[in-house]
Amino acid sequence: MFRFQSLNEDCMLEEEDDGLIEDEDEIDQFNDDTFGAGAIDDDWQEEHKRLAELDERDELGAGLGFGGGGMGGDSDLSTSERPSSTRIPSSVVHPPPPSSLASLSFSSSSSRLPPSDVEDRVGEGDLAESLARLILDADPAIAGVGAAERPGLPPGSSGSGLSALRGLDQPRVLPQPSPILPPTQPHQHPQHQLPPGLPASGLPPSSMLSYQQQQHLLRRGTAPMGQMSSHSIWENSMGFGPVSVTPGLLTHMEDNPLMSIIKEVGHPKRAPQGRNDEDLSERAPPPRSSSPVIGSPPVRAVPIGTPPKQPMSHALNHQIHHPTAVHVRAPVQHRYPAPFPERLSPNTLLNIANSPLCRGPFPPRVGPVLSQIQRAQLLNSQVAGFPRGGPPPLLPGGGGFRPFFGGPPPPHGHRMGPPPPHGPPNHAPPLRHNTTHLHPQHRRMLTQRMQSRGGDRRPGMDRRSRDPYSNLMTQKEKEWVTKIQMMQLQSTDPYLDDYYYQNYYEKMEKRQEKEQDSSKKEHTTKLITPQVAKVEHTYRPVQFAGSLGKLTVSSVNNPRKMIDAVVTTRSDDEEKREKQVWNKRRQILYTVEKMYSLLLEVQDFEKCFVQAPEEDREALLEQHKSNTEQLCSSLREKEWDDRVSDEQCVMIMSVRKGKRLISRLLPFLPSMQAAAVVMAIARNLPALAKKDKQDQVLCWLVEPVSAVIQSLSSASLTDLLQELQGSEGQLATVLHNKFGVTLLYVILSEGERMQSSDPNCQLMDDNRWTELVFSVTRELLSVPSSSLSPPLFTPPNLLSLFSRYVDRQRLELLQDKLQ
Amino acid sequence: HQQLFEKHLVLLRDGRTLIGYLRSIDQFANLVFHQTVERIHVGKKFGDIPRGIFIVRGENVVLLGEIDMDKPCDTVLQQVSIEEILEEQRLQQQAKQETEKVKMQVLKDRGLSIPKADNLDEY
Repeated sequence: MFRFQSLNEDCMLEEEDDGLIEDEDEIDQFNDDTFGAGAIDDDWQEEHKRLAELDERDELGAGLGFGGGGMGGDSDLSTSERPSSTRIPSSVVHPPPPSSLASLSFSSSSSRLPPSDVEDRVGEGDLAESLARLILDADPAIAGVGAAERPGLPPGSSGSGLSALRGLDQPRVLPQPSPILPPTQPHQHPQHQLPPGLPASGLPPSSMLSYQQQQHLLRRGTAPMGQMSSHSIWENSMGFGPVSVTPGLLTHMEDNPLMSIIKEVGHPKRAPQGRNDEDLSERAPPPRSSSPVIGSPPVRAVPIGTPPKQPMSHALNHQIHHPTAVHVRAPVQHRYPAPFPERLSPNTLLNIANSPLCRGPFPPRVGPVLSQIQRAQLLNSQVAGFPRGGPPPLLPGGGGFRPFFGGPPPPHGHRMGPPPPHGPPNHAPPLRHNTTHLHPQHRRMLTQRMQSRGGDRRPGMDRRSRDPYSNLMTQKEKEWVTKIQMMQLQSTDPYLDDYYYQNYYEKMEKRQEKEQDSSKKEHTTKLITPQVAKVEHTYRPVQFAGSLGKLTVSSVNNPRKMIDAVVTTRSDDEEKREKQVWNKRRQILYTVEKMYSLLLEVQDFEKCFVQAPEEDREALLEQHKSNTEQLCSSLREKEWDDRVSDEQCVMIMSVRKGKRLISRLLPFLPSMQAAAVVMAIARNLPALAKKDKQDQVLCWLVEPVSAVIQSLSSASLTDLLQELQGSEGQLATVLHNKFGVTLLYVILSEGERMQSSDPNCQLMDDNRWTELVFSVTRELLSVPSSSLSPPLFTPPNLLSLFSRYVDRQRLELLQDKLQ
Repeated sequence: HQQLFEKHLVLLRDGRTLIGYLRSIDQFANLVFHQTVERIHVGKKFGDIPRGIFIVRGENVVLLGEIDMDKPCDTVLQQVSIEEILEEQRLQQQAKQETEKVKMQVLKDRGLSIPKADNLDEY
């Protein structure tokens, strides 16, 4: 593929800018011409003519005695149509305008075609014949053209052309153009005229084309061949000395072969290749028709994360914006095993070097001659203050290596090319970076000049100078890798993402602070992780003022919403109400959960407070207060109602978790509220009991409720008892329930305790207490023992309480019941 | 004063320790080591086997650190020849295998079997 590439590049020099020649792997979309590459001025008929003509020319050339097999048969052709043919070569040699050449060649070939009688050309002959006749008939003037002689006519051109034409039908013809491929490489320009090839037989790898002819023809000739030609081209081209590369190409490139090539080539292509570097290998398809803001981002050959390139800034920019995507370099895997070829143009070598295989994460360099080793050396030399001895393209000799520890000498000795002159490694000004893109010869001269100036070897730089492999990575590359690694540490919320590390780090720091106060100053390296600020991105679709509707084009830069779905968000209140209306339970659950988390925070407050540093304590305190506030308020149904809402409590308690919540919450509530809650419980006990039948978790409440009760005043106690008894039959229900019974007993016991402990207690002030107790006793007596559920515990002073109010007989009965 | 080049030490997932000059690194932590030496530790002894150039795939790296050449080397480790250290390693492996075998046998006798985690990657 790279041969093709070079061919391509060379062709480009003829200033045909209509795009690229297709190769089998990638079709240039922008320039995908149906009828061959670059159908610019002429139509296919003219091209056909020309190609046919060129083919004839090939045979003619052979007939003239340029050798090559199978051409003998064409001698008759050559003789018959001498005049016409001769004119053409001269015009071909001086690069003619395409159309004229086409016409000329076609005419000559066409004139020659009728007498052609070679076996293998029977088929096409007819076609060409008819075409030729057609054209000739149309324009007799054409036929008259081409009366010049043909000195050293390169028949290969015509041969190739015609064969290319025929290639559509007969693959075996196709090899014809391939011999042209190698010769078109610049280094063979002046003298090398390859012996003529022939469509019939297997072509000797040469054709008598002048360089430009070959260029031109290939430009034209290869195109019509289309897809199927490509393979054979490559296969054939293999015969010419495979353009294969050893794995060590990067270093070998700078060895003898390249030097020899460059020597023999001279620099015919250097100047244009300067242009090539930018235009050709980096040439991109024309940008898509969209502005960078609205439209798609430009196609990148190198993915967006690849590390920075070499210091060629303009090329760099060029590369970024005009990727090499279009110029596909064929994978060169299959070429590796073959030995390094002799005849490679610098171009192809460049392409090899720049092939995708050789590209690591580091993108291709524009200055391909310089390998990484060389660059490292340059850097070394810069650092060290002198060049690496010998021209940079060559590797340094093996002598200077620091013997590596513990073992045999480094195995890369064999990789060395011709050991470069370890010349006086002294000179004053080091080799500059921006000289990397000089032509190798130029660079050599430069370094030689510098060497001759000499200089002092800086003391102590020996070690560094002897290690040529340092600085293989540029600073930029190192930074790039570091950046990537650090990116992984970015975090908007480090305590969330990396809790344990953060805590560990803090511990370490504190410990070090303590230790360092006493011990010596040791600066420990700190890892500073990048802090990323949280940025809110809201999407706003691109809109133009005054336009109707939205953009139709959507791309990476302006994604468009496909569906304009309107999101309606409801406020919390509304949500609550709605949910209350439609789904009370869910809301209750939600409340319970919310309260629970608040409760947990409240319960943890103590712990946090102790652990928190001084400055945080105030904040914590505030937090705590607000939490408790919230908790209290959540028990109230409406914001303005200070009383605890019965309904709310009941609803919460209807959830198992809610009961637990209340039991844990009670100790934290202010006494008023706690009392109110307990009241509510008492009041709604039957309902609660009913709901609790399955779970039987009301008993969790016993303890906190008892605690509350014990803090109640006598009046409230009385109230509580009253509540408990409530409506008719409530007490019976209460007695059925374990919790109820327990609660009752607790209340009574509390009352008794009050009475017995404090003679002045107000419990007896009104009759309520007495009456209530009486009703309790009545109930107790009436209720059968079986239905009386055993309490969690029986307070001991109940009997004494009852003894105040009932007579002996009943007391005994009660006693039984209580047991 | 001039600093010498820093050697790097990398510990691989299979337990090998490589020491050499780190020449290149990429975003996957693929490493290019130059003049690498594999250091085998057995007990208090260690041995260095020169290996040349290593390319380590990033996923196999456990940790990587720079060796401070300036720091005083006050280890109790004793360097021995390659043959010796390999021999020691072999013995160590052998001993380990023996104990492992015994353990497996004991477990088997009790009807238990703990699958060997041959491949450390298995979850």
